[in-house]
Amino acid sequence: MALLETQELTKQFAGLTAVDRVSLSVDSGETRAIIGPNGAGKSTLINCITGLLEPSGGTVLFQDQDITAHDSHDIVQRGISRSFQTASIFPGMTVWENVQIAAFGTKHGSFRFNFLRNRDSFSDVDALTEDILASVELLEDGNETAANLPYGDKRRLEIAIGLASEPDLMFMDEPTAGMSPEETQHTVDLLEELKEERGLTIVLVEHDMEVIFRVADRISVLHRGEIIASGPPEEVKGDEEVQEAYLGGVEL
Amino acid sequence: MSGNGPRPNGGEILDPDASTIQRARALAQHNWSVILGAVIALLLFRWLMIDGLGMVADMVDVRIGGYEGLPSLILIYGIIVIGFNLLLGYVGLLSFGHAAFFGTAAYVAGIFSAEVSGSPLLMVVAGTVAAIVLAWPIGFLSIRRTGVYFAVLTLTFGQMLYFYALGPGAWLTNGDNGYSDIQTGDLLGSIRLDAPVPGLEFLLGHWQYVFVSIFMLLAIIVANRIVQSPYGLIFTALGENEHRVSFVGLNVFRYKLMAFIISAAFAGVGGSLFLIHESYIHPTTGLYWITSGDFVIMSVLGGTGSLVGPVFGALVFEYISNVISGVSLPVIGAIGSLWRLALGAAFVVIVWFLPQGIYGALKSLIGRVGRLIERQLNQTAGGDD
Repeated sequence: MALLETQELTKQFAGLTAVDRVSLSVDSGETRAIIGPNGAGKSTLINCITGLLEPSGGTVLFQDQDITAHDSHDIVQRGISRSFQTASIFPGMTVWENVQIAAFGTKHGSFRFNFLRNRDSFSDVDALTEDILASVELLEDGNETAANLPYGDKRRLEIAIGLASEPDLMFMDEPTAGMSPEETQHTVDLLEELKEERGLTIVLVEHDMEVIFRVADRISVLHRGEIIASGPPEEVKGDEEVQEAYLGGVEL
Repeated sequence: MSGNGPRPNGGEILDPDASTIQRARALAQHNWSVILGAVIALLLFRWLMIDGLGMVADMVDVRIGGYEGLPSLILIYGIIVIGFNLLLGYVGLLSFGHAAFFGTAAYVAGIFSAEVSGSPLLMVVAGTVAAIVLAWPIGFLSIRRTGVYFAVLTLTFGQMLYFYALGPGAWLTNGDNGYSDIQTGDLLGSIRLDAPVPGLEFLLGHWQYVFVSIFMLLAIIVANRIVQSPYGLIFTALGENEHRVSFVGLNVFRYKLMAFIISAAFAGVGGSLFLIHESYIHPTTGLYWITSGDFVIMSVLGGTGSLVGPVFGALVFEYISNVISGVSLPVIGAIGSLWRLALGAAFVVIVWFLPQGIYGALKSLIGRVGRLIERQLNQTAGGDD
């Protein structure tokens, strides 16, 4: 069953069509990679789905409900979270607080009048925070200021923030960009774990082909805003149009 | 402190191995110690301002001592900037229109005293409710914009009220003559606010100081609770990365609006108390944009990084404007209306050399002294082995 479906999703910026009638269908439980050369519209596509940008046309369906152009916080509340290309965290807050705030969003909705109650007295929030931090192996660093973490840990913290929203579907925009080989390995392990243990559906934009072939069940290739191929890794790898457009004919 | 593991709840868990200073530090974060510290400070504040500085004044032969009424005035502005800083220091929203809430509360409290009841408590309630009711639409219309646009929108709303109070609203506000028809009654029906506190007059002066101090204490307690609540976390997060807040599923607009309304409520309490304190309000003191700007200056002067920091800014600001302005120095002569220049100089020096504000500088100084003592103690302990 399709968890997420886009129908003819389009985004135009002053004459430039960044996303061109994209119809994408992601099944529950799958890991989908979206690949394509720089400027292909990958990030724009994610931004349109997650409410950061308003699409110029088309619809986004999540669990068979129309969420086109909804507010970001509403889309998160419905079960879609995301990470960004640049680790989008709260640098001045502790690692614990970074995840705790997301846990508040999950356990207490998009808005509450709880401004006189101590924030550490919410046991449901603390339990979720602890669980998530343990699963990304950052619990030990709970008291650390997020800005002081090494780069790879910052990216993992961002994934933890996304996970604390208890999503059904998570978008990851280049989760291993800028990481050392060890950090990349660590992140790939984490992704596989999330998939197996939490049954999370993942859509990731990635450039690292090794990572893609390890984690992706299916690949969609975006080129000049259009999807030119979709299918299992082996099939896409052999697709001539993909090789021509994306790699300029170079063997994968 | 043990750096590992999840954060202990509320920082209350005291490690038996911790040194005395570490224990003191953990204790300093506790709610009760905040309240106790505030009570002690408030008990001594008036005496220090008037008698303490008075003694210094006698020694140097320059009139730098405070006068009766100044401590209350400082506390009133302190209450306002505590709330203002929840918005500026935590959420990172710079409002240039908080005089709207201050002035409106003052006028409403005054009119309420003349028309309904002179009970000081009810006057404060009336003024504060008015500020909150006004903050909702102004916030709703301003918060959709950010940065300079937000500042200018709030400024515009404030100026609209100023010109209304000056001209078309004169039937209500008495326009440029100012509103003086204020009938402040007795506190709880029996205590005159301008009567001395029996037995404690040397320390607390008149009841008015006690009345204002209690509101300051409440302001600190409430603001402290807000900072410790989920709101504190969300306000800080909004200041750091607003984008991410909406992507953890939180409604950014509503939380910002709440921050705006909460800060307006503090300004409302302050405005009502200001009216009771001065028994007079004029559009220029109440609603003019300079008043809004003064709140900004006080907050930055004291330090926007902490809860009570801005109160120190209010202290320095009001001290310069009310005491230093009356000082006459050899060679220079009377400072008088040059006080804004003196304030400007103080502002530049503090922003340049103490970017954390007065309170931030004090705190890091105390921290440094604390570490020094700690090291000394450790060395002594090491010598015993």
